[in-house]
Amino acid sequence: MGRIPKAYLINRLVTLVLTILIAATIIWIIPRLSPVDPAEIALGRMAAGAGAVANSEEILAQLRANMGIDQPFLVQYFKYITGALVFDFGLSTAAFPTPVSTLIMNALPWTLGLMILSLLITFFIGNLLGALMVWDRSPKLVRVAIPVAMVFTSIPPILSGLLLMWIFAAKLQWFPLTGAYGLFVEPSWTWAFVQSVLHHGFLPALSIVIVTFGFWALGMRGLMIGVQGEDYVKLAEAKGLKPRYILYRYMIRNAILPQITAFALKIGLLIAGQVLVERIFAYNGMGKLLYDAILNQDFPVIQGVSYVIILITALSVFLVDLLYPFIDPRIRHEAG
Amino acid sequence: MNYRKTLLATSALALTIFSGAVLAQDVARENTVIFDLDRTIQDPENFNWMTPGTKRMHGAHQTMWEPLFILNYNTGELDPWLAMGFESNADSTEFTVTLRDGVEWSDGEAFNADDVVFTTNIALTNEDISSREASTIKAQVASVEKVDDLTARFTLNAPNPRFIVENFGVRIFGSFLIMPEHIWAGQDAATFTFNPPIGTGPYTFSSAASNRAIWDRNDDWWGAKTGFMDLPAPERVIFLESGGEESRAQLIASNQLDAAQNVTIGTFEAVQAQNPNVIAWHTDYPYAASDPCARQLEINTTVAPWDNANLRKAVANIIDRSQIVNVAYEGTTEASRTMFAQFGSMAPFIDAVVEAGHGLPASADVAAGQALIEGEGWARDGDYYTKDGETLSVDIHVNSASTEYTRTIDVIVEQLQRAGIDAKAVPVENGVFWGEVLPFGAYEMSYSWLSCGSVNEPWASMGRYTVKDVVAVGERSPGFNNTSRWDGPAAEAYSAIVDDIANRQLGDAEIPGLVAEAYQHLDAEMPFIPLVQAAKLLPMNTTYWTGWPTADNYYNHPFFWWNHTHQIIHNLEPAN
Repeated sequence: MGRIPKAYLINRLVTLVLTILIAATIIWIIPRLSPVDPAEIALGRMAAGAGAVANSEEILAQLRANMGIDQPFLVQYFKYITGALVFDFGLSTAAFPTPVSTLIMNALPWTLGLMILSLLITFFIGNLLGALMVWDRSPKLVRVAIPVAMVFTSIPPILSGLLLMWIFAAKLQWFPLTGAYGLFVEPSWTWAFVQSVLHHGFLPALSIVIVTFGFWALGMRGLMIGVQGEDYVKLAEAKGLKPRYILYRYMIRNAILPQITAFALKIGLLIAGQVLVERIFAYNGMGKLLYDAILNQDFPVIQGVSYVIILITALSVFLVDLLYPFIDPRIRHEAG
Repeated sequence: MNYRKTLLATSALALTIFSGAVLAQDVARENTVIFDLDRTIQDPENFNWMTPGTKRMHGAHQTMWEPLFILNYNTGELDPWLAMGFESNADSTEFTVTLRDGVEWSDGEAFNADDVVFTTNIALTNEDISSREASTIKAQVASVEKVDDLTARFTLNAPNPRFIVENFGVRIFGSFLIMPEHIWAGQDAATFTFNPPIGTGPYTFSSAASNRAIWDRNDDWWGAKTGFMDLPAPERVIFLESGGEESRAQLIASNQLDAAQNVTIGTFEAVQAQNPNVIAWHTDYPYAASDPCARQLEINTTVAPWDNANLRKAVANIIDRSQIVNVAYEGTTEASRTMFAQFGSMAPFIDAVVEAGHGLPASADVAAGQALIEGEGWARDGDYYTKDGETLSVDIHVNSASTEYTRTIDVIVEQLQRAGIDAKAVPVENGVFWGEVLPFGAYEMSYSWLSCGSVNEPWASMGRYTVKDVVAVGERSPGFNNTSRWDGPAAEAYSAIVDDIANRQLGDAEIPGLVAEAYQHLDAEMPFIPLVQAAKLLPMNTTYWTGWPTADNYYNHPFFWWNHTHQIIHNLEPAN
């Protein structure tokens, strides 16, 4: 903690709490600005499915009570905000009476596993490749990666997913088409289960990796070009330091700081980011949960998932802020 | 050396991942039937069907929970299942149901009238239950009593000859499912999760996750022991979430799925090109089967100028249904001749309407439509008709959730535009459409299927447009009935006949004639315009299993997410 003044830490903690509180309030307000009554929607869904609905007034009243929207706004808000502090977002309206927190806890590990793994892989491969694109001692083959990276970056992950699915799952049948683990494997800390998860997660992860590594590579390339002409790099060369040492210690380490900020922001976004990949692979993570909740107008789930996204984003940025001085010794936190 | 180590480690990881493909399963693929599930099982540990969510269609009511009867869409007959039959009193206010002898729950307990009475009383007394079937029972039933172990008697609040088919016959999607009293007694039905679940069906619950549910055959099933039916051939039934049309196409093309949810014709043809064993309801166009909710153009009869019946009739003349079939549905459905779904069981009523001259042609008669418009004082001025400086225009609200809906309305808009009506599509989000637009009459015209209901008798659909359900614009139409707000002398005459039909026994020989008589008012006033039949193109795979329901093997319809799927599974036979 030596490099982080106490006042700075308190300041950032207060900002963090305020950010989460304001964001949580906004995500509570937005659905309520809609003229649509979620109970009416649920009733409409019944009518859309099979015709007339008997006792519709009674059903409507029951649905409103179940959803808690028959209470005054202030009561609803107070319940929501106090519940959010302990991750109690109430009950799902589409999967009533399942608690939203249960749905989130069922989905979150899958998304975290798939997305964080993909993000780490793309972050390291992408940044390394971006750095090597600029380094004058890189093999010529690496320079070819620029157009390749640009092409892959412009492909939506759903397309790469479908292509990989068609080749490796439908045609070659090396990988399964859907799901997060095998049909006949029960979730447990067993080797069979881990093996099945890796097997099922490979294609979804690859479909994300091949279209996102270009983002990091091209970004890093731009940053490296800026660093390349700096005096300290020229001085290091003049001192006769090894080129690979200069690359890692002088160039990459100085260029990578904005990428780390981007990494922190991406952690939050990735929670909901790959909705379509999760959908086509029937990979039931947070993106799919949010997608289904929006389709079903399941407001408690939408609020719960959004809250978790905000929380993770805010915490990631907070942690990266604290970690900056350790990554770049030139940075000092100043109190206030 | 480092490279060698890296290579070895990578190879080991790859082997680990690839070897996942050969994980053992204890039932062979050829003994397993795999159905597509088009939604996530949000709460795989909850089996209380009386609360909302996916608690039935993941195999529970297709394999484990059996209905009392199953309606045959071809013949209109009720096939006895857990019940043997029923009798009603003369005014259809009392129904006595006889249960089949020898039925057992999968834990060995006898299924009897106590279970029927117990489950019905849950619906009648528990205020916290909001499922459709429980609400319907609550609305219709005054009391239920046990006569003996195999007989239960229902007393209704009002006469209803359709009581059994509406509640216990799998009329549309599901039925009121009887639960085991010995498990449910003492539980709060609004919160009880019923896990592990049991049923009387030939399959028992094996496992479920958010994307699949597995059901294994119970070789001790009561049906085989009593001679009701042989054990079904599949040893295991899986309902697997496919993840969307793209994935389900690949799953069924590669034989990893035996029956898939709805796909477009392009996808179906692509799948069939890769896997010729994949079939559909029809062997050629239109391929798809019709579902019970025929599509229609709903008209708000309180909004000028569409409060004029002749203008509504003009629109009906201008609409070319065959063009909607060919363009919007790419040939996968057929034009509606009346308001009814065109099942074999509805043929007597459809024929009666058509023979009386009230059927709709598939093609348009634009000249006749324009003559009706001009007869109301509108004159063509350039592209559009005008009257007193006002252009004849209409906004058509359409649910934007599906291209099926928006494409249909785009075709209709084009047809009306060409005929001189300034029509415009107003796409709205699903929730707004069903939550605000339709029930409150906040539209001039809209695309819907609110005649949905009749599958073996005419009242369920016709009864939705009677004057008793008329409310002002801005008030919610009760039960989504008569959202057109059709009122006036013709509507009253129509309602009187339909109310008469309501109290007649099913199969009454006079009903088709009464239908035709009532329909003349609908035809004259057009509070809604029937368009086309709803199409469901469901690929079925004959690689491992044959005996799928088709137009040539019509033992029932092919909607395998419904409660009647017991029949489908019993009809499946190994392909080899």
